[in-house]
Amino acid sequence: MKALSLEGVGHSFGQRRVLDAISFSVAEGAMCILLGRNGAGKTTLFSLATGLYHARSGQIDVFGHSMRTDPAAALAQMGVVFQQQTLDFDLTAAENLRYHASLHGLGASISEARLREELGRLEVLDRRDEPVRSLSGGQRRRVEIARALMHRPRILLLDEPTTGLDVPGRRAIEQHVRALCRERGVAVLWATHFLEEVSADDDLVVLHQGRVRWAGGARHVATSLAVDGLADAFDLLTETA
Amino acid sequence: MQVLIALLLVMSALAAPAAAETIYVSNEQDNTVAIVDGATMTLQATIDVGRRPRGLALSVDKKTLFVAEGDDNRLDLVDIAKRQVVGQLPSGADPEFFVVHPDGKRLFVANENDNLVSVVDIAAGKVVGTVDVGVEPEGLAVSADGSTVACTSETTSMVHLIDSRSLELIDNLLVDTRPRAAAFSADGKQLWVSSELRGTVTVFDTATRAQTGKVEFMVPGIRREGVQAVGIEMSRDGATAYVALGPSNRVAEVDTMTLKVRHLYLVGQRPWHVALSDDQKRLVSANGNSGDISFIDLENQEVVKSVPVGRGPWGVVIGP
Amino acid sequence: MKTRHAVRALIGILRRETLRTLRQRGRLLSAIIRPLVWLAIFAAGFRSVLGLSITPPYQTYVLYEVYVVPGLAAMMLLFHAMASSLAMVYDREMGSMRLLLTAPLPRWYLLAARMLASVVVGLPLVYLFLLIARYWDVRPPVLGYLAVFPALVLAGLMLGAFGLLVSSISTQMENFAGVMNFVIFPTFFASTALYPIWRLAEAGPVLANIAAWNPFSSAVELIRFTLYLRFDPVSALVVLACLVVFFLAAVVGYDPGRGLWSRRGGEG
Repeated sequence: MKALSLEGVGHSFGQRRVLDAISFSVAEGAMCILLGRNGAGKTTLFSLATGLYHARSGQIDVFGHSMRTDPAAALAQMGVVFQQQTLDFDLTAAENLRYHASLHGLGASISEARLREELGRLEVLDRRDEPVRSLSGGQRRRVEIARALMHRPRILLLDEPTTGLDVPGRRAIEQHVRALCRERGVAVLWATHFLEEVSADDDLVVLHQGRVRWAGGARHVATSLAVDGLADAFDLLTETA
Repeated sequence: MQVLIALLLVMSALAAPAAAETIYVSNEQDNTVAIVDGATMTLQATIDVGRRPRGLALSVDKKTLFVAEGDDNRLDLVDIAKRQVVGQLPSGADPEFFVVHPDGKRLFVANENDNLVSVVDIAAGKVVGTVDVGVEPEGLAVSADGSTVACTSETTSMVHLIDSRSLELIDNLLVDTRPRAAAFSADGKQLWVSSELRGTVTVFDTATRAQTGKVEFMVPGIRREGVQAVGIEMSRDGATAYVALGPSNRVAEVDTMTLKVRHLYLVGQRPWHVALSDDQKRLVSANGNSGDISFIDLENQEVVKSVPVGRGPWGVVIGP
Repeated sequence: MKTRHAVRALIGILRRETLRTLRQRGRLLSAIIRPLVWLAIFAAGFRSVLGLSITPPYQTYVLYEVYVVPGLAAMMLLFHAMASSLAMVYDREMGSMRLLLTAPLPRWYLLAARMLASVVVGLPLVYLFLLIARYWDVRPPVLGYLAVFPALVLAGLMLGAFGLLVSSISTQMENFAGVMNFVIFPTFFASTALYPIWRLAEAGPVLANIAAWNPFSSAVELIRFTLYLRFDPVSALVVLACLVVFFLAAVVGYDPGRGLWSRRGGEG
């Protein structure tokens, strides 16, 4: 079963077509990079995949649950880290996580245990009782990832999670997520415009102007296009038609 | 929610005192006496009486209501049980206010135009004596022991003390401009006289006949001329006096020891007279301009309800 | 929707609202000072020292301070609802609305829970105001404070639903400011909150008519009547009907298939 599958997904805002015939899937336990330049349609795709609103056409399933007809079951399997900050700045890290846990129906004791575990995994446990406002950008991102893991999702969606961070901060976030994928078998859909975040073993989906330009193993993209490396491949795929 | 509110209403109804009493109000412009049930605070009946009824009082046995009718120069007798006029008494000309002597046999009536106080023998049904007083006599009071009758004269600005037995004038005391009502304290040691134009109450020692104090009234936001003192009612324990303050739409509760105003109650427009219930827990004001009476819960110090009774309510008494 | 899950989510939402409110001291303070200032200023401006003529539920003559207190309590609910929906617009711009809506629960439930939480958090301040008003000699019967509770909740929910609707329509903060100026303030002033109908009629029959039909007037009167242990079924029905209509419209506004987001995008 696919962790996430999109089939023929299209969407438009008024007359403006933003996504067209998007089809790809993320395998269970796979690390999938959604690569695209700014404005490629990544954020709209995230909105659709997280059920914020429905696609005009096509089908989105999460572990076989349709986002349109059974959003609760689909969302229960999914952890999301949005591009924008979605933490309450006035609340502490722990309070933010507890809020999220309650939205997923977790009880108090299980919520406390996971809170410690996930904040510990992301190395921000010592900041748990500080207001989010006082945390650095990188720490806030980690708290958000820890939060997305509170309900033990089987797929994690991250929209440009490293934007605004310095290089060591980006590296640390990436390593944490890759470890999650490797050690816990959580499928990951990682949207980014940074080429260096793509690793040879990842699955890769290149999105440009609302269409999927390429989908497959990242190691094959250069050879299949007969170019020298990922950078050249990406340039070729995102040349304006 | 409706159920909850119904429940609350029942609870509050249980908490309220069920006063078995009746309020009688003279409607000066309607020529009626309104009868209001004290327990439900609703108008029960209005009975037609003579023209321009103002002063009214219950007989000592509380079976008869006397009503002074200024334009008919007489008093009507209302049978409380039958709720109808059952007879008349002579009063002298233009009776405005009167008192029932504690002996139960005589009425003292102020004849506004004749500068007289007429004494009416109830049983005989005739005027048995007159006393000359100042110009425009109005307020009347009788001491609890029955020995002294006090009468105010509006234009002379005096209170005249009359020996009720000999009908001789004992003394004339100057008071503030346009005195309206007079009242003896329950122990008979003090006499209170209200001044309409100065908005004060002057207090006299009845033994020395010397002025011992003065009550001043102030209603925040109302000019001094708008605060006029008219009807007075004394509590039975002597601790409290209630004064109707006319166009300021207030009734004052006055501490008789300190002569300080304890509380001001907002009532209907232009209260003329006030009356205390038998249990002393409730005060009713007759509001001349708004055509209603206001019930004041004295225990909680709040005005609970105003009930329309007719045009120009003036006098008010509370009976069984 | 499992009941236990739903209850836990409601408690979580309630806790978040409470924590946020408690940590915004300034907002808390201004929320209680505002009606007190209005009480002081309006009561001074409206010369009522001779008493207002009797209007139900009052059974006797009252001073303006007494009249205006239920209206100011409703004003607190209105401003609280608007502040709350402003927070929702902000949440949308800041993205935390997304977090709420990706919870695996029906969207209408999440929105209703958010609305209910906001009302519950706002009520203690209204009670504090009603208690402070006793120093202005505004002393409704003690049981009235109990009876007014469901009325405050109902009125708060109606105004909260209105705020939710506004937040579903206005995609940006600027729109929201416009709504505040052109909807909220007229709603408040053309109602029975500050002046009785007969007084508005003196100013103009049009104003009096608007106030008579204004649902906010119904919220005010519902509060006023219950505070004095009377029940006004018409007001209650109007408030209830408006609550249902506003809430359903707001749910449509947030609907994943029909709502504004799906039509215009918006970054929230």
